[in-house]
Amino acid sequence: MSAVWPVSRAAVRRRRVQTVVIGVVVLLSTTMIVVALGLLAASSGPFDQAYARQSGAHLVASYDPSKVSDSQLTTSASAAKAYAGPFAMATLDLGSNGKFGEPQSLVTVGRADPGGPVDRLNVWKGRWAAKTGEIVLNRNPTASDGFGAPTLGSTMNAAGQTLTIVGFAYSVSQSADAWVVPAQMTSFKPTATQMLYRFAQAATNEQVSAGQAAVTSGLPSGALVGTQSYLGLRALATGEPNTFVPFLMVFGWLGLAVAVLIVANVVSGAVVSGFKHIGVLKSLGFTPTQVMAVYLTMISIPAIIGCAGGTVLGNVLAESLLTRAFENYGADGVTVPIWVDVAVVLGVPVLVALSALLPSLRARSLSAAEAISAGSAPRAGRGLRVQRWLSGTRLPRSVSLGLGLPFARPARTALTLAAVVLGVTSVTLAVGLGKSLMTYQTAASRVDAVDVSLFARPTDGGPAPNDPQAPPAPKLSDAADEALIRSTPGAVSVTASANLPMRLAGTSTDLQVSFYRGDFEQLGYRILHGRWFDGPGQVVVSERFLRQRGLAVGDTITLQSEGKSVRAQIVGKAMYNSGDEVLSNWQTLALVAPSLRASLYEINVKPGTNLDAFVAAVQTGDSGLMRADGQDAGTFVAIVLATVVLLTLMLGTVAALGVFNTVILNTRERRRDLGMLKSIGMTPSQVTIMVVTSMAALGAVGGVLGIPLGIVAHRLVVPAMANGAQVEIPAFMLHVYPWSLLALLILAGILIAAAGAYFPARSAAHTTIAKVLHNE
Amino acid sequence: MTEDLGNEQAVVRLTDVRKEYGESVALSGVSLEIHAGEAVAVMGPSGSGKSTLLSMVAGLDRPTSGAVVVHGDDLGSLNEKGLALFRRRRIGMIFQFFNLLDDLSALDNVALAAQLTGTSAPHARKRALELFEELGIGDRRNTYPAQLSGGERQRVAVARALMNRPAILLADEPTGALDTRAGEQVMDLLLDLNQIGQTLLLVTHDQQLATRCASRVIDFVDGQIAGERSLERTA
Repeated sequence: MSAVWPVSRAAVRRRRVQTVVIGVVVLLSTTMIVVALGLLAASSGPFDQAYARQSGAHLVASYDPSKVSDSQLTTSASAAKAYAGPFAMATLDLGSNGKFGEPQSLVTVGRADPGGPVDRLNVWKGRWAAKTGEIVLNRNPTASDGFGAPTLGSTMNAAGQTLTIVGFAYSVSQSADAWVVPAQMTSFKPTATQMLYRFAQAATNEQVSAGQAAVTSGLPSGALVGTQSYLGLRALATGEPNTFVPFLMVFGWLGLAVAVLIVANVVSGAVVSGFKHIGVLKSLGFTPTQVMAVYLTMISIPAIIGCAGGTVLGNVLAESLLTRAFENYGADGVTVPIWVDVAVVLGVPVLVALSALLPSLRARSLSAAEAISAGSAPRAGRGLRVQRWLSGTRLPRSVSLGLGLPFARPARTALTLAAVVLGVTSVTLAVGLGKSLMTYQTAASRVDAVDVSLFARPTDGGPAPNDPQAPPAPKLSDAADEALIRSTPGAVSVTASANLPMRLAGTSTDLQVSFYRGDFEQLGYRILHGRWFDGPGQVVVSERFLRQRGLAVGDTITLQSEGKSVRAQIVGKAMYNSGDEVLSNWQTLALVAPSLRASLYEINVKPGTNLDAFVAAVQTGDSGLMRADGQDAGTFVAIVLATVVLLTLMLGTVAALGVFNTVILNTRERRRDLGMLKSIGMTPSQVTIMVVTSMAALGAVGGVLGIPLGIVAHRLVVPAMANGAQVEIPAFMLHVYPWSLLALLILAGILIAAAGAYFPARSAAHTTIAKVLHNE
Repeated sequence: MTEDLGNEQAVVRLTDVRKEYGESVALSGVSLEIHAGEAVAVMGPSGSGKSTLLSMVAGLDRPTSGAVVVHGDDLGSLNEKGLALFRRRRIGMIFQFFNLLDDLSALDNVALAAQLTGTSAPHARKRALELFEELGIGDRRNTYPAQLSGGERQRVAVARALMNRPAILLADEPTGALDTRAGEQVMDLLLDLNQIGQTLLLVTHDQQLATRCASRVIDFVDGQIAGERSLERTA
């Protein structure tokens, strides 16, 4: 085989442009595949590894100590595979030290040590609390400290006591915000008892529910006040990468398919145009297998280089996405699993080589005499009827000749057409994806739903009155401000709202509850299921909120704040992104914080109303009301859209490169024909038109075929993304392809084909023809 | 068959033409004139510059220095498009290996030349058919190049070259790829064409072709005119 290498190397050098095309296409496709597989494989990895390392709790449960004793809990816990507890638990009010007076609280648990069979805490800084007066805070080691965050050795006041922070620990189970020694808890007057369970089977919600039923059977009714399943935390951790995976996988496979088509096209073109070369090799004594090896090696060199480059690039991109996705979950240094790299580095070149195998086998089987005599005799033309019909039409001859060209090499045309079809499929999918995402984000974040928002600083707490950077306080009462706004000319609807940080009983995650009064149905929220609240103790939540907590519309939850609890029924599901935001009404606020005033007034005005003048008119009545920024689209959707645009450009480029490659093959093969056409008076621009027309026709057909495929892909990918992101997409958001857009998408096919054809066509049009036409 | 320029007027005039390809000199100081109705053969060994001369006259290539004027057009002053239009209207070319388009029928190959000038397809086909009849290949009009003999292919190529009534017919080794019989048929055809007024410039190794068809022979050696002689046609 020693003779194969120099001949292959020479073949690579002779086909520089095609070598570069193969290398670039394989690089782009491999990049997409590595990112997609990397995200798919690693999307739950960091969470699962951290959970296994800490023996995380499958279920965190809190019980009412007035209804169940510690010994009862211990006895019933034997149904679990492992358990920790009972631990006394209290929610400590830290007072109004938050921004603008928002109270903060800490779910604090009394634990003697951070180890144990369940929820083994990682004390990553300082030490565990050894005596009363010491506290350990739950903090992610990778979380930035942030300005004003408590530091090791500093003190904090909670429930009237001064506590020294002696350590920072991290609980992936999110079992508490802070821990103290059990003896400290008596002074905190614990309101709940915490139990942490691990079950033998906990892969699904049903299994966790079955485990929960087993450990609570026999306990008094109403003893269990709240639970938190690890599946909710897991869903929270994997939500973002799982959103990327569906479309990255589709784009990755599309890219690889185009790469395979291009490689098959390049090799078959090389075999066809290299008949004489094959004949010479065979006459020199190359065996058929050596000839095949030459062609396979010729393709494998750029494929291996492209694959290696794509793997590196894919790793860099995937790590960047994964680090961003998991930055809140303590998963530092998340990488693409090594098996993905190995599979891609071995698999992609093999796939490329397989696509080159068929034409290489053709080279292998050609007889030396047949090969060496190729080109000296005219070959029988193909697509002759079409050519004849076209020559009789009224079309300019350069156009009719161009339209006939694809019929002369049907196999090559089919491969190129397939590349264009995949390109158009990608563009169709990307455009639909972008439109669906934009429609969703506009609806979910209520962009432009409200004309103007006015902010009123809460009166309790907040910055000191002499703070020069503090916003002014409102001059009028809440009710007077609302009345003022309603009476201002131009106002159509006014919604007042106040926000209150609250806790879902049994969990340590913070919720932001927004309480509304007035015309809240005009706020732009879309109710997907159920209805708006119409009485006290009712809330509306998002799909993500329900999924992360295993809840459904109709369920009842317990919300806690400042030592008060309120039971609320989930009466509706609205379309918005946050899993930590709950919507409720003023009547419910009255049950927990009746003195809280509205901090935001969201106003819609009559069309044509000057907003600046409107705000100025309101501020004449109360100069303490400040104009607030409206809602804008979230950064996550922006990132997804940017990724989609990038991938579309990559795949569009890859498809155009497929056309580029075909035109190079065609023009090289037809060098003599082009020379002849020029010799009888065809101008360079007519040659360009002829060649571009030949591919633009394919582009149009590719558009017609690729659009339905793109729409089908859109119908599959968008719901999968929504599922990954834990959001619900209404059916109307899938209907994003009006006829006008479909016409434009056909143009995309023509554009991809014309872009790929233009430069080699121009180059062919300006080739010096004297030598071509002389004796061959 | 050509536009009448008068027999004394030069259809082709080359003045001190030089052509270099890198360091290699293909033509050096070539000056010559070809008059309307003349049949000129250019002869010489391989690499002597014969085909380069033909490319200059056809406007397929540009001289490094010197002037080429064909039928009043100074080719040095024409851009690419201008040269294409010039070839379309003034030049007919035939080649050793015919250079027919395999995908087009014989008739469409010939009609193509007229269609490029804007002639409609029916008119172009009608004119092509006339030529097919004149050249004795009328029954082969709907066949494809692969189905034609070498002599027939060259006749189709001649028909294509004559389609736009060129000022000069350029032939590059027109019998080089043909057997003796077919070669003689093509020679007869070229002679007939010249006898009815078609100006002819032949590049050939074939002494027989030159003596049968040409009234003047120009000998080329190393890119220069080594000699020139008038011939009595043997036909």
